[in-house]
Amino acid sequence: MKLCEDCHKTPAAVFLKLAVNNKVTGLHLCQACAAKKGAVYGFESGVFNASDIVGNVSDYFNDFLPRERKTLACAACGLKYSRFKETGRLGCAQCYKSFEPQLAELMARIHGFARHAGRGYAGGGAPEFSRAEASRRGEALNAAIRAAVDKEDFAAAARLRDALRELENRHG
Amino acid sequence: MAELLKSFRPDVTWANAGGAWPDMIFSTRVRFARNLEGFAFANRAAADRLAEIRRLVFAAARESGMFPRGHYLKMEALGPLEKSFLAERHHISPVLASSVLPSGAVISNDEDLSVMINEEDHLRLQCLSAGFAIEDALRSALKLDEVLGGNLRYSFAEQFGFLTACPANAGTGIRISCLAHLPAMARLGRMPAALESLSRLGVIARGIYGEGTYVLGDFYQIANAACLGRSEEAFSRNMDKVIRNLIRQEIGARELLMKGAAKLKTEDAVFRALGVLRHARAVSYNEFMQNMSLARMGAAMGWNMGLDFSTFNQLTLLMQPAHIQAAAGRALTPAGRDAFRADYLRKKLN
Ligand SMILES: [Zn+2]
Ligand SMILES: [Zn+2]
Repeated sequence: MKLCEDCHKTPAAVFLKLAVNNKVTGLHLCQACAAKKGAVYGFESGVFNASDIVGNVSDYFNDFLPRERKTLACAACGLKYSRFKETGRLGCAQCYKSFEPQLAELMARIHGFARHAGRGYAGGGAPEFSRAEASRRGEALNAAIRAAVDKEDFAAAARLRDALRELENRHG
Repeated sequence: MAELLKSFRPDVTWANAGGAWPDMIFSTRVRFARNLEGFAFANRAAADRLAEIRRLVFAAARESGMFPRGHYLKMEALGPLEKSFLAERHHISPVLASSVLPSGAVISNDEDLSVMINEEDHLRLQCLSAGFAIEDALRSALKLDEVLGGNLRYSFAEQFGFLTACPANAGTGIRISCLAHLPAMARLGRMPAALESLSRLGVIARGIYGEGTYVLGDFYQIANAACLGRSEEAFSRNMDKVIRNLIRQEIGARELLMKGAAKLKTEDAVFRALGVLRHARAVSYNEFMQNMSLARMGAAMGWNMGLDFSTFNQLTLLMQPAHIQAAAGRALTPAGRDAFRADYLRKKLN
């Protein structure tokens, strides 16, 4: 993990691009140091630079993503990391977990930050699935419960059973 | 002629002149990219799951009460003319218009709120407002997001915020954009340098229909590039500042075009353009946009064009190819459209 180039103590979370005398330089900083710099340069005074992402996004990904072994893939949807590098599109929400270190680096380059600082989300109410979707999810939960019991992970099995009950109460 | 086109009114509220600089800022849009938990992103989900997503979003939109007498559209049920019409109105993107999988849109009766379903993300919800109105558009879009997010389950994670198919949209998922009319800067050849410096401010400029489209009639979509690591309000304050700066530059360019020897040249170009709009017998959309842009600039300079900015704006929408055919009530060839457009303008402007 890269350390902050200012304090050299905390892991870097922010990639700050600075245009100084027409020369563009970049700095990896921790949140605290970035905030201090921000007070001087100011995001809103426009020192923040996102010019790299203008133009072809997939070229951008190809140029900047670290080389990875071809085998890296998302456990949930099967998307290969190499495929993501070609298309610039992830396959599912789990991809963000599967490729977390690579994405943190990429996010810092695209956004100047690697951590969300906007509104949170508490989660909505349980949506009304169609009968087919509810039964599909029921089957998936049943399979997960069986797998948990096989692994003797009874806490997980209990959680999954609660989820199944909630689904059945709503859609049974 | 498709019934759908008749169910949309010919003029749109958000195209009326409004805000502080109606001569320069046509409209403001705030959109959020969202995805549903438990489903793969649209590019990797099977057709039956995409249909389920659309069903859930339709249901959430109905329950929200924010789309009374709204349009609930399934893309695969629409013909090419209807899709072009919706794209011309900025309700759907060219990407969604070409989708062959279960996808759709919900559009409010006033056409200020809309949701694209299964475009790049499961939901792209947006608010369109007249003129320069970032705060208002942000408030309405946040409200819509809150209500839909309460009826659905979004994909969200502490570190990366709202999760999207393309990491460039993750975090807040926000895009704030203003459709700016900058004819004086364009005339002085200042746009390339201005766009270059915009990119250094974390802002991107595109053509009138968004990503990958050409600049027409000196209209530019100006939008934030990054959307993670700051609050929704911080991104909108940054955009507000950038737009105000562009406005100052355009005012400066206009002053130059009105000064000394330049004035006669400018005046001549503006009134020639008005002449084309008033008297030509065949006008393509491109030609309309070029001449309208000059006439609109003339109005901004205080010359009598016989048209207010609301009318200029409505014409900008109405003169588009699919809109022309909707107004004619039938499909027209390109040559037929050009003649119909010229007739329409002649009646409206004389
Ligand atoms: Zn530090
Ligand atoms: Zn995945």
